[in-house]
Amino acid sequence: MSEESTALPWPVIVDAGSGTPADLMARVARGDSAAFAQLYDQMAPRVYGLIRRVLRNPAQSEEVTQDVMVEIWRTATRYDADRGSPTSWILTMAHRRAIDRVRSEQSSTDREQAVAAASSTTEYDEVAETVTTNLEVEQVRHCLGSLTELQRESVTLAYYGGYSYREVAELLDAKLATIKARMRDGLIRLRDCLGVTGR
Amino acid sequence: MTTPEVHALTGPYVLNALPEDERIGFEEHLADCQSCSAEVSELREAANKLGTAVAAPPPPALKARVMAEIATTRQLPPLLREQAAEPEPLRRKGFSRRSFFGLAAAGLAVAGAGGIAIDQYRENSQTRHQNEQLAALLAESDAQTVRGNLKSGGQATVVMSPAKDTAIVLLHDLPKLPDDKTYQLWLEDKGRTMHSVGVTTHDGSKVIRGGIVGKVALGLTIENKPGATEPNLSTASVIPMV
Ligand SMILES: [Zn+2]
Repeated sequence: MSEESTALPWPVIVDAGSGTPADLMARVARGDSAAFAQLYDQMAPRVYGLIRRVLRNPAQSEEVTQDVMVEIWRTATRYDADRGSPTSWILTMAHRRAIDRVRSEQSSTDREQAVAAASSTTEYDEVAETVTTNLEVEQVRHCLGSLTELQRESVTLAYYGGYSYREVAELLDAKLATIKARMRDGLIRLRDCLGVTGR
Repeated sequence: MTTPEVHALTGPYVLNALPEDERIGFEEHLADCQSCSAEVSELREAANKLGTAVAAPPPPALKARVMAEIATTRQLPPLLREQAAEPEPLRRKGFSRRSFFGLAAAGLAVAGAGGIAIDQYRENSQTRHQNEQLAALLAESDAQTVRGNLKSGGQATVVMSPAKDTAIVLLHDLPKLPDDKTYQLWLEDKGRTMHSVGVTTHDGSKVIRGGIVGKVALGLTIENKPGATEPNLSTASVIPMV
C-alpha cells in the first residue's frame, strides 16, 4: 500500500453542507427538511434531466419533477437501503412517473410528438448539456455505441422515448419477441460495458 | 406467467416498457424468481446510468415550490417490521459507530455485496497497519463504501469519509500490465476537472488524504509510464462517489 500523506495539489473545498445521498435519505426519513434541501440539490438535476428527456415539454417536466421530489419526501420513511442505492431508487421513481405521464396522455390524445421522439435514437450523442461528470457521460456514450443498432434503438426508444415494447416493435418493424430480447441483451451489454453491478 | 420466455422480460421491465397487465404479471414472477430479481437489480443500475447521462439543471424557482410543498406534506409512517428472532441482517449503507461492532461485520458486509473480501485483508498480519487505517475509516460515522467493476477487469472499492477528508482505494483482481504501462487514479471535481492522485500497481491500495470533499468520482486509467497529466479516456473506468 503506497500512501500519500502530503496535501494534494488542489485546494480542498470544505463544503459544510455536503452529505452522501444515503446519509441524507436517513435524515430525510426523520423529517429533516434541511437534509431534504441538500438531497434536492444533488438529485433534482438528474430527475429533471431524465423526465425532460422523456416528456420534452418543459412545463410538464417541471410539474412531474415537483411530484417526484415531493414523493421522495413523503415516502423516504419507506426507502429500504437493502434494496438499492438512493440514486437508484430516485431515478427509478422518476422514470416511472415520466412513463406514467406518457401513458396517461396517450390514452386521452394521440401523440403528436411520435415522430419527434422517434428521432431520439440518434440523440445519445447530444448529451453535452448536463451536470453529470464528463467521464460518466463519455462512458455512457461510448457504451451505447458498442451496442448493435437494434439493441441501441430498442433500449433508447423505450427508455428515452417512453415507448412500450409493442410500440418499439412497431416503429422498428420487428417481432415482439425480438424486441423483448434486444432490450434485455442490450441492457446486459450496457451493464458489462459500464461495469455496473447490482447490490 | 410460467412460460420460459417470462425470464426474458427483465429488459422491458427495467425500461418500463411493459403494459400494465404484463408488468403486474412479471412482478408476481419476480417475487419468486431469484435469477430475475438479481438481473433486474443489475440492469436497473445500467438503465439509471442512461438517466444520469442526461442530467440537466431544473429551473431555479422549482426548488422553492418543492420546499413549500413538503412543508405542508406529511410523511408516511415507516413500515413496521416484525422484530426478527433471526440475527440482524447486515446493512450496506454507511457504517456508523453504533453498528460498528468489529471490522468483521464491515468486512462481511462488503464481501457479501460481491466486493473485495476485506476479511482476507484483515487476516493478513503483515497488513495490520493498513487494516487499522481501514478500520478507523470504516468506523467514521459518515463512512461510505462504493464499488465498481473496472473496464480492465477486476474491481475497485473506495472507502471514504468526507468528515476526515480521507479515502482508501482497494484494487482487486486487476490484470498485470506490460512493463511500459501503469494504472493511474484520478478524482473528478464538480467542475469536471480530473486530478491525478498518482499511479498504482495492479494489486495496489492507496490512501488518499485530503481533496476528497467536493469530488464526485474516482477514475482509473491505463497510462504510459511514468503516468500522465491528462487521463486517457478510452481506458477509463469511473466510479461515482456521490
Ligand atoms: Zn425469472
